[in-house]
Amino acid sequence: MRATLILPGLRRMSPRTRHRACLLGLGALALVTAVDVGAHGVSSKDGRFLQSLDGPAVLPLMYLGAKHMVTGYDHLLFLVGVVFFLYRAKDILLYVSLFTIGHSVTLLVGALGGVRANPHIVDAIIGLSIVYKGFENLGGFKSVLGWQPNPRMAVLGFGLVHGFGLATKLQDFALSKNGLVANIVSFNVGVEIGQMLALTAVLIALTYWRTRPGYLRHAYATNAVLMTAGFVFIGYQLTGYVFAK
Amino acid sequence: MPIESAVPPDLPSRRKLALTTTIAVFAAAMILITLVLPAEYNVDPLGTGRALGLTRIAAPEARPDEPVPPSAGQPLAPVQSGPIGAYLADYKTDSTQFVLGPYEFVEYKYHLEQGATMLYSWKSTAAVIHDFHGEKDSARGEAISFEKKERRHGTGTFTAPFTGIHGWYWENPGGDTITVSVRSAGFYSGALEFRSDRTRRPHELTPLVHESRIGEAAK
Repeated sequence: MRATLILPGLRRMSPRTRHRACLLGLGALALVTAVDVGAHGVSSKDGRFLQSLDGPAVLPLMYLGAKHMVTGYDHLLFLVGVVFFLYRAKDILLYVSLFTIGHSVTLLVGALGGVRANPHIVDAIIGLSIVYKGFENLGGFKSVLGWQPNPRMAVLGFGLVHGFGLATKLQDFALSKNGLVANIVSFNVGVEIGQMLALTAVLIALTYWRTRPGYLRHAYATNAVLMTAGFVFIGYQLTGYVFAK
Repeated sequence: MPIESAVPPDLPSRRKLALTTTIAVFAAAMILITLVLPAEYNVDPLGTGRALGLTRIAAPEARPDEPVPPSAGQPLAPVQSGPIGAYLADYKTDSTQFVLGPYEFVEYKYHLEQGATMLYSWKSTAAVIHDFHGEKDSARGEAISFEKKERRHGTGTFTAPFTGIHGWYWENPGGDTITVSVRSAGFYSGALEFRSDRTRRPHELTPLVHESRIGEAAK
């Protein structure tokens, strides 16, 4: 049961084929991401579409949800942090489910209940979740506190914040009451599909990396970089909060 | 129960952690100050954004404005006496149309003196995002909006509240290709078309011709 790697097929491939398969996967991810790099939030074209809606549009909303997740680097960085030290498929499933439950609850409650929050502040907390996960992966809490705050609760809690972030993106647009529930649920389903796609790409890359001797040696540096990225995101959003006044 | 999120067994020392966190914060601050803030908010304390050309993302430099071509005639200001606004020259007419692919936009504006009037009618093959607005000659680039809503057509009279260019912004909200056609008559002196592909083109306006035969027939 131990060390059952996700995607065991990769191990059976010859090193050269494996290398090619991974490059292909990463290339596909890069391509999808490059479509609108940096356009976190909903692009203006998609926004006009959302505002023009009057009635249920299941597939378009699913597409936008999936696109938001696949191109949303903040959610992706957090997921990388979450699965970084998870080796067993069972654990990956557990943690990703906790994250999914967390963000679905606040996405639905926030968007349907009209709970409003400042998007910059929510995004800054999402940045904090990346820093937290990176610090946890460094062994920071164990070293500093002597004990480890429950990582499952942390993922669930930060999942709630990520969902709130998704809800505020949707609320930026005056969505029609007609078909609202169907549209928001479709968006949520799309988010989960996008998460599965992104997670697959992340796991392919991590699994490949884990077969290399440098993985544990570079794990420390990688998580320090993850923290740095989280700090950049926090600073970016807090500055946005100050200037949006 | 073992915690699944297993960290490597050799925990880092507090010193090492403090150093790592400090480096992470410092690196993040440098990335923010030198790259992100200049590019996103035009905040550039070290001047790196300018040097690297990043501040242009946050604050695109305004294109130098070409003057509206005077080709179509003298500026026409009315001399008001009672209900009559008299002009020194005749009005002109215009008829044109624009084809807009999905998400394309066009701005079409006439130059009018303060108080000058025109009649207009425009129609679109589908609903377009529409903004009827003007820009003062003294403050080009600052649009003053008169009406902003999604429309399929508009028809009316317009009296310029200030001297400048006045007209419409039409944007295809996506979907099919749309055609917008405009007809107008007015005391304007030039027309300019601005396109989403950053091209601009003056339009030829039709001067008024009195057909003398009508006058002869009345004799």
